[in-house]
Amino acid sequence: MIQVSGLSKSFTDPKRGTHLAVDNVTFDVCAGEVFGLLGPNGAGKTTTLRMLATLLKPSSGTATLSGFDIVRQPEQVRAQIGFLSGDMGLYGRLTPRETLEFFGSLNGLDAVRARRRIDQVFLMLDMNSFADVRGDKLSTGMKQKTAIARALLHDPPVLILDEPTSGLDVPTARNIEAAVLNAKQSGKCILYSTHIMEEAEYLCDRIGVIDGGKLKAIGTMEDLRRETGKQRLREIFLDLLGLAA
Amino acid sequence: MRFTILKAIFKKELLDVLRDRRALISMVVVPLVVFPLLIGGIARLIPAMQTRAEEEASGLNVSVRISTPAIREGLEKAGLRLVDSENVKAAVQSKSAGAGVEEFAGSPPRISVYVDASNESSSAAGTRIREILTELRDREIRDHLRGAGINEDVLTPFVIARVNVAGERKMAGALYGSLLGYLLVLLMCTGGMYTVLDMTAGEKERKTLEALLASPARRSEIVMGKILVAITSILATAVLTLGSMAYTLKNAPIPGPGAGVNAADAPVENLRQRLGTIPLDASNVGLIALIFIPLAIFAASLMFAISLKARSFKEGQTYLTPLVFVVIFPALLGGLPGLKITPALCLIPFFNASQMIHGILTGEASSANFLVTMAANLAYSAIAFQLATRMFNDEKVLFRS
Repeated sequence: MIQVSGLSKSFTDPKRGTHLAVDNVTFDVCAGEVFGLLGPNGAGKTTTLRMLATLLKPSSGTATLSGFDIVRQPEQVRAQIGFLSGDMGLYGRLTPRETLEFFGSLNGLDAVRARRRIDQVFLMLDMNSFADVRGDKLSTGMKQKTAIARALLHDPPVLILDEPTSGLDVPTARNIEAAVLNAKQSGKCILYSTHIMEEAEYLCDRIGVIDGGKLKAIGTMEDLRRETGKQRLREIFLDLLGLAA
Repeated sequence: MRFTILKAIFKKELLDVLRDRRALISMVVVPLVVFPLLIGGIARLIPAMQTRAEEEASGLNVSVRISTPAIREGLEKAGLRLVDSENVKAAVQSKSAGAGVEEFAGSPPRISVYVDASNESSSAAGTRIREILTELRDREIRDHLRGAGINEDVLTPFVIARVNVAGERKMAGALYGSLLGYLLVLLMCTGGMYTVLDMTAGEKERKTLEALLASPARRSEIVMGKILVAITSILATAVLTLGSMAYTLKNAPIPGPGAGVNAADAPVENLRQRLGTIPLDASNVGLIALIFIPLAIFAASLMFAISLKARSFKEGQTYLTPLVFVVIFPALLGGLPGLKITPALCLIPFFNASQMIHGILTGEASSANFLVTMAANLAYSAIAFQLATRMFNDEKVLFRS
C-alpha cells in the first residue's frame, strides 16, 4: 500500500545553508499493518510524513500510496489518505460535528453518508458528549479525538498518523490506540510516528528507526532484538542512535 | 474547479468569519453602529456648539477704544457690553474681553475688530460686531446720499448673478464621487483585511492548514474558496457602510431654526440636502458595482498573497497595514483639482476606480475610460489571483518557520 523508494528532502536556509532532512529513505507498509516510525526530535519523521501526504515535494526519490505516485498524482494520493499532523490544529470556531461535515464534503461524502460516518466515528471515539461544542472550548484530549476522527471519517485505505497520543492522558491514549487497532483489523495500512516506546511496541507490527534523516533499522521487534542484542524497545532505540550505556 | 469542493470551502470559511468577533466588528459593527453614532453625534454636537458659542458671545465683554459717538451708540444699542480700555488687543489676548473694537483716526478712520480665532465664542462675537459696524456704515452712506438728494440706487448700478449650469445632481456627483471612490477603496482594505488575515496567517498560526492541504481539495480550489469569502466581506462592508451612512445622513436628528439654531448652516444638514440629490439610480449603482467587483477581487487576492507570507496574525497585520496607505494614495490623487482622467491614467489601479465612480456620478465617464478601467482591473485581479495560488503552492511560504 505504501512504497517509499529513495526518498530525500533538503531545505535551504540562509543561516544553516542546505540541510538534508530526509536522506534516501526506503521502506514499505502493507495493508492491515501498523508501521511505526521512531526517531528523536528533528530526525526527519514529520518531513517524511509530510512528503507522503503530498504537503512537501521530495528533493529526490518518490513513493506510491495505493499505487498513486506522490509526485505525479498528488490529488489521487490525498484521496487515499487520512492524515493526522503532529500539531492537531482544529478550527476553534467550529464544533467537531461541523469540522467533520466540512472534511466529509472535501472527501466527496454526500450528506447522508457523511452523517452516518460521523455517527460511527463519534461512537467509536466516545465523542458524543462534546460533538457540538466549539473547538476552542475543548480539552487537549477532545481535540485530539476530533483530529483522529477527521482522519478516519472518509474510511481511507491509508492512515498517516503523526504522534496521535502525544500529550494525552492514559484513558484517552488508550481510546485512540483502540481505534488504531480497529483500523488495522479492517485492513488499513497505517504509518504511525511516535515518541512513546511502549506504545510502539504494543501497536506496531514493524518499526523503522530514523535519525539524522537516515533509516537506521527496519524490522519487527524480533528483528530489532536480533540486530542490537537488546530486549526492550527503549534500549534498542538508544543503541541504534549510538546512545546505549 | 469542482463546485462541491468550492462550495464546502466557501461555506466553512464564511461560517468561520461570521463567528470571528474581530471580522464582525470591522464588517458589521463599525458600519452599522460606529458610523451612525459618529455622524449622529456630529449632527447634534455642531449645532449645539454653535448655539453655545452664540449665547456666550452675547454675554462677553467687548473692549473698546472709540472716539466716534455714533459707533459707540450703535454697538451699545445692539446690546453689547462695552468696556473702555487703553490696550484693546492686550485685553482680548488676556481674555479679559471676548472681543475688541479700536478706532484709529484718519480719513477715513480705520476700525479694527480684535478676536481670538481659536475661541468659538470670541469668533462669534467678532462676527456680530462686524455685522453691526457694516450696518452702521451702510446706514451712514444712505443718509449722506439722501442729504445730497441722490437716490441710493446709485450704489447698485447692476447686479451680478453667478449661474451654475451643473445642476444639483451633477454637483452632488462631483462632491460625493470623489468621496465615494475614496471611501470604497478604503473599505476594500479594512473590510477584507481581518477576514484574509484569519484565513491565511491565522490558519498558519493555529496549525489548521496542514489538514486542509492534505485533503483532496486542490490548492487553486482552496485559494478560490477563501478569496470568495474575502470578496464577500469586502462587499458586505461596503454595502453596509454606504447604506448606513446614507440612512443616517438622511435621518440625522438636526434641531431646526426654532430651537435657536440656523440649521441650514449646519454642515450635516448641508450634506443631507446634497445627499438627497446623489444620482444613485439603478444604472449608476450597476455601473459602480461593475467597477468595484474586479477591484475587490484584486484587493482580496493581493492581501491574500501578502498575508500568506506571515507566520502569525500579528505579523500579517504588520504586512497589510502599509498596503492600506499604498492603496489609498492613488485614490486620494483623484481629488486633485483639475486632474483629467485619460485612458493611460485608467491603467493605475485604485485611482482608476475612484475616478470612474466620480465620472459615473457626474455623468462624465467616457466608455473608453470605463472599458480600459475594467480591462486593467480584470487583468490585475487575474495576476493577483495567480500570485496568490502560486504562493499557496509554495511550501517555503506555507511551512515557513
